[in-house]
Formats: sequence, structure tokens, C-alpha cells
Amino acid sequence: MAIPASGLMTREWPDPVPARIGFEEWAELFETIPDELIQRFHYFPPNQEQWSLYLFPPQTFAIYGCRHLRRLKFDNSLAALRMWGFVQNETERLFRARQTGRHVVACMGDLGALPVIVNSFPGCVAFYPDCIWWTPFVMESQVLFDAAAEQGIPEATCFSRAALGAFAKHSYFPDPDLVIAATGASCDDYSGVEQLAARHAREMLWVESPLRRSCGGVEPPTVEFLVSEYRRVVERLERLTGHRLSEEELRRGVARANRVRQAVAQLRQLAYGAGVLPALEMMVIEFGNLHFYSDIGEWTAVVEHLLVTARARADAGQRVVAEDALRIVWVTPPADPLLLCYLEDRGGRVVGTEFVINQALAPIDETKPGLEAIACSFMAASLIGTSRQRAELVLRQASERNAEGVLISGILGGSHCAMEARLIADRVKAELDLPVLEFDVAKPGAEIDRQTRTRIDAFLELLRSRR
Amino acid sequence: MALISGADREQLRKERLQELTRLKAEGTRVVGYFCLYAPVELIAAAGAVPVRLVRSSADAETAGERFLRADACSFCKSCLGGFEREPLFRLADGVVGVTTCDMMRRLPEAFEAHRTVPAFQLNLPRTSESAPHRLAEFRRQMAMLGDWLASLTGRHADEDGLQQALQRQNRLRQIVRRVDELRATLPAAVSGSDVLDVVALAGLLDPAAAVAVIERGLVRAGQSQSTAERPRVMLGGSIITEDDRWLVEMVEEKADIVADIVCTGARWAAEDAPVGEPGLDLLAGFYFSRLPCMCRRPNDRLYEHARQLVVARRVAGVVYKTLLYCDPWSFEARRLHDELGVPVLAIDSDYSGQNREQVRTRVEAFLETLAE
Repeated sequence: MAIPASGLMTREWPDPVPARIGFEEWAELFETIPDELIQRFHYFPPNQEQWSLYLFPPQTFAIYGCRHLRRLKFDNSLAALRMWGFVQNETERLFRARQTGRHVVACMGDLGALPVIVNSFPGCVAFYPDCIWWTPFVMESQVLFDAAAEQGIPEATCFSRAALGAFAKHSYFPDPDLVIAATGASCDDYSGVEQLAARHAREMLWVESPLRRSCGGVEPPTVEFLVSEYRRVVERLERLTGHRLSEEELRRGVARANRVRQAVAQLRQLAYGAGVLPALEMMVIEFGNLHFYSDIGEWTAVVEHLLVTARARADAGQRVVAEDALRIVWVTPPADPLLLCYLEDRGGRVVGTEFVINQALAPIDETKPGLEAIACSFMAASLIGTSRQRAELVLRQASERNAEGVLISGILGGSHCAMEARLIADRVKAELDLPVLEFDVAKPGAEIDRQTRTRIDAFLELLRSRR
Repeated sequence: MALISGADREQLRKERLQELTRLKAEGTRVVGYFCLYAPVELIAAAGAVPVRLVRSSADAETAGERFLRADACSFCKSCLGGFEREPLFRLADGVVGVTTCDMMRRLPEAFEAHRTVPAFQLNLPRTSESAPHRLAEFRRQMAMLGDWLASLTGRHADEDGLQQALQRQNRLRQIVRRVDELRATLPAAVSGSDVLDVVALAGLLDPAAAVAVIERGLVRAGQSQSTAERPRVMLGGSIITEDDRWLVEMVEEKADIVADIVCTGARWAAEDAPVGEPGLDLLAGFYFSRLPCMCRRPNDRLYEHARQLVVARRVAGVVYKTLLYCDPWSFEARRLHDELGVPVLAIDSDYSGQNREQVRTRVEAFLETLAE
């Protein structure tokens, strides 16, 4: 359900002056939202069933165990509330998908391309178990890590191991009809998670993510290779669904994904340029480009609602983060969302990100045949190239946004973190003379560990002193 | 008595270093590689001398930590540090990396950044299921490696050169397999560490020279190594270098290592490359389809191989040594235990040696349990 303009929304429930607000404040604010407005938002459009409502305040999800929500700060717009309700509701949505006869397909490891193909099939719902890596933090719980440990994954490993715990628990999402697992030029941790998850999967189809040698340019033989990999995916999905995918359906699937990608690209410009949305919401929005939170139709409406809000704020000269905040490019997504809030609380703001999902942020070329276009888009992925190439993405954003520092949040034992963090940091220091803070995100907890807080504080102090 | 004594191995290493130094002075290029997926036949056919760089030490690891984080794999750090400490590493005019695991994929970039050694990444698909486009892509990667080698040596590998190299390597693989089979006899004619030794020599010496050395050793090793029935153990896990010999010796004090699934052991020689034309096509097919490393996906064929070894060689337990932060192998320890049906001792360690006595206690306790 797209919201074409902010006027209607403003009349029914005018957004307050932009601010980052806490859990309790959202509870109070939610009381003022009219029931008719709450009743308007349903997932799986055009479905209007009562069970598909999702506009709930953070409290609802905290009751179900998302304790971290009590500590985060949220944007106070209706669009942001809608986004949080939709995102937090994903588990329910996946089980509903199964109940209503949809095919649930897990896409693992490629971060962006596979769901475009899966969603092109009628009645297929793609989701990323990868994104379960936030769940232990949001729930302040070790349960999924413990479950992964029982499967054999040691502690000093990427938090993405939570996905294996979720597979083993059979409770966080319905057992997928098919698991498509990308491996190859990707991280070891997740490739290992995939291999062990295969024991819990009905069927797993392996897809190769090829290595990218050149910087920027598209390598025709590699694209051709990737198209062949995607053809295997299409064939397998055709067997699963009994439906032969037409080029037109794939083209429409690409167009749908592009609609989201284009909206998110504009949101990035507005948020990282004009400071109209907080970093936390932006991270959630960026990751929506991977799998659209299992419902591309409604997620499109959510993102476009956010875009309307962001534009209205920009037009009115309203900001949600201070104009004089210290400008930071954030590299590698923090598993603990509280870190983004903390940065803003302490006077920083995110003006660029390199969350290893850059391939999902750029539009797919709609003039090319579908699979080729998706393959070309994927070939931009920062994860499949060199660290030098990834550093270029960081340098470009830091230059464009006049960043004052670069923050690299890593994961102890994460294969690419261990190998590339220093290479990226060295290049940023050498080429832009910018300070770099590199730290590993600590395990889930109620608050950010003292050492990390001190390091972020000291980093921001250093940046301030350089002004 | 060892198939090739420690003193002989040291002497062979010393002589090889001298030989490589001389060859370099005469204009021959030395190309280092790390992994059994590196096509040594192609390197040799391009006129370079392939040498496997598998030394590891705590000092080299520490040296590598100047450039990589502490939570990078110990072998990767040690390789990077090795370029300032190991004479063999310093002889390398270029390095061939293979994109097996993520850290090895990224290692050549670190070489270029910090060591100014030209490096080529051979992109081996991690997916192990054969498909025509995957084989074609790997064939293309091999051709690119051929071009890179030619830029180093001034010579492209031709068909004759490839065929000769294939035959020489196959001969070497065959004799290493013979050594491997001998350790499984009862009583064993050679030891598990003999297999690791001959594979190490195979990566260091010229193939013909290595064959000659192993043949001489086999003549001497006609006698049984072990007279008493001892626990029969399989070795598994991350790369075991010559510097990990302490662990092998520790195990062999109380048990016989009758099989292994490590890349520096019998897996290196598990199969012959097909001989015929066109050599590059056959070579690509051979390396793509090798008995898979644990990092390939799916890795079920390695499990099947391990199960066969357990049955055929009456393996009573597995000593499974992984390197810290080696995800492909360490993640699989539990599954291996579940699927092989024999006890598995999982040891996770770096090269520091600080936990060696603790490891000893665990190994001895494990082997005593097997002996009961």
C-alpha cells in the first residue's frame, strides 16, 4: 500500500517534531494514533485480514522477548513506527506464509540477488536466515548461539552463527521448502553455517558466488558463469512451484526490486546528507533491500512512506540528528544496534555505510535480460572482491560526505574482518588522513561494554579536537 | 626407523635451497604455493619451479600479526610472516593462492600489500558439485594462471610440457600412495609421520628426485615399524605442517596413525591426474574434482572418504587438530564425531606451543581410552 503524499497522513496523525525517542515515549505516542490508522496497515497486500495487522509499538515485541527495544532510540515518525512493526513481525509473517500456502524459500549468503529471482515466482516468499544475526542482540539472549554451539560452532565466530541455531530450533521460521545457499567468494563463517544447516534443511541448492578480479568493471565470462548458476536456481524453483518462469515475470520481479532500491537510494541521500533519519532506522532500511522482510509488496509501501516522511522533513529543514554532529562512515554492520544509537547520543552521525550489501543498494539494469541483469548487479558486491576494492567504497563515501572519521565494527573470528580490517584502515589513513576506530562488537548484553563505550567516546573526542 | 630420517630430511632441504638459489641465479623462476589445489603441473610446464610453502612457526605467526588481526588463521599469519623468516619463502618470485577458504582467498592481497611478492589467485569454485559451466569457469581460471605464469617466466606451458609434468607428478603420487598403504598394514611397515614426511618432500623437491628418495627409503623400511597392536588412529583437521611434527610424534608414542584426511597427508596423493590431451582441460577437471577439502560445498564426499578409511583401516579414533579461527575445519569437528561413529579428539590451537603440555595430557588420555 503506497502512501503517495504526506498530506493525508498528516491530517490523521501529524508526525511530531522529528526526534529520536525512547521506548516509553513511543508507548505514550502510540496511544494517540487513531484505530482507523492502525487498521489500515496489513502485510501480504492486498490481503486485509485481521491477522495481518502489524502497526504495533515496540512494547508489543518487547513483551515477546525483544528486550533490547527498551534501550534503543527510535525515530518518532509514523513511517518509522510502521517500519519497526513490520520488521519485528517477520517471524509471524513467515509462518503465515506457510499457513496460506506460499512456498517459503531461504536464501543464504549472497546478500541481494537470490530473492529477486525467488520473488519473481508467484506464491514464493524469500527470506534471509542471515539476518537472524541481530536476534540474539535484540533479545539479549545467548539461546541461538548456544544452539549453534551444540551443532559444533565455536564461540569466537561471526554472530551469523545464530542462523544455524535458528535452523536447529525449527521455531524462528518455518522449515523452508528450499534452501538456496551461496558460497564461494564469501565469508568462511557463513559458508560453515550453511554446511551445517544443510543437516536441518529439506533440500539445499548450492550456488557459487564468483570472485571478482577487476575493480568496478563487469567481467563478461564471470557474469555468464553467474547466469548459469542462476539458471539452476530457476530450474529448481520451477520444480518446486510447478510454474515455468517467464522472462516477463522475471522482468517484473526486477522492476519491483528496483522500486525499493531506488527509494532506498533516495533515503540514503536524504538521511546521510540532510540528517533526516537516524542511523538505526537507516540500517534496517538498507538491509530491507536484501529480502524485503519477506513481503516485497508491503515493504515497498513502508519504504515509500519513509521516503515521503524524509522528504517532508528535508523540505521543512527539519533534522533528527544535529547538523554539527561528527560525520562518520560506518564499515561492516554492527550486530548490536545499540551501537548506532550510542554514536548519535554522543554527538556523532553516520554519513555513509559499507555494510557488505552494496550490491543490493544499486538499481538493477532493466534493459538487460533478467538473469544477466541480476548477475551484473551482484558482481558489484564488496564481499566478492578485494579489500582494496572495498576500501574504495569507503573512501568514496568519506570524500563525498566530507567524513571526519571512519568506524569499522568487526566480529572476533569473522574471516573477512580478520583479513581486511587493517588493509582498509591503512588506506583510509593514508589517502584521506582520517582517524579510524576499529573494534569488535561484544556479545549480546543489556548495554554496550564499557571498553567499547570508552573507545567510541575517545574517538569522537579526537575527531572533535581536529575541527 | 623412519622412512627418511630427520637428519636426511634436513640435508635434503638444505641441498634443495642451494639448488633453488642456483636455479634462480640462472634465471629460473621459483613459484610458491600453499594448497593441494594449486596445479603444480602447470607451474612446471611454464618453466617455473613449484615449491609448496607449508612451514609454520610461532615467530612467523607473530610476524604476520603486524599486518593481520590476531584472529586471522594462524597458517595465514605464519605464511605472511614467513616471508621475512623462512629462506624458502624468500626464494619465491611469485605466489599462487587458491580461493579455498576466505582467509586464503584474501592472503595474496596481503602479500602484494606488505611483501611486494606478485601473487595470483586461482579461483576454484567452492561448490564441489560438478556442472559444465563450473568446470569451464575453472578451466578459464587455469588459463589465466597460465598467462600469469608466462608473464613471470616468459614461457607458456605447452602440451608436451604439460604431459611430462602430469606423468612426473602422477609417478610421485603413486609412490606416496604406496607409502600410505604400507602404514595401514598390520603390523605397519611405515609410520603415519612417514606419510607426512614424504608429502612434504613431494612439495619441496623436484618430482623425480622425490621419487628416488622415497624409493630408497622404502627399500630400507622393509621391516615392520610396529610389532604390538596399538590403537589405530586417523589424523584430521587443518593443515599439518612439518613444524606440527610434535603432535604427530605425541600421537605415535602410543598409537599408530594409519590414515589421514589432511591436505598435507595422503589426500595429496589420493588420485592420479588423467593423462591425455588437451592437458589443460584434463588438469582443470582433475583439480576441480579432487577429493574435497572440508571447505568445499557440499563436503559430503570427504565424509564418505573418511568413513571408508575408518572401516577399511579399522580406525579406532580420530585426532582432529584445527588451527584457531580455521572455520572450515573447526566447525566440522562435532559433525565428524556424529557421522564417523568413532571417538574424536578435537584440538584447537595456534603455533605458540603454550598449550602443548595440556594437549599432551588430552592426547594421552584419549589414546589410553582407545587402548582399553
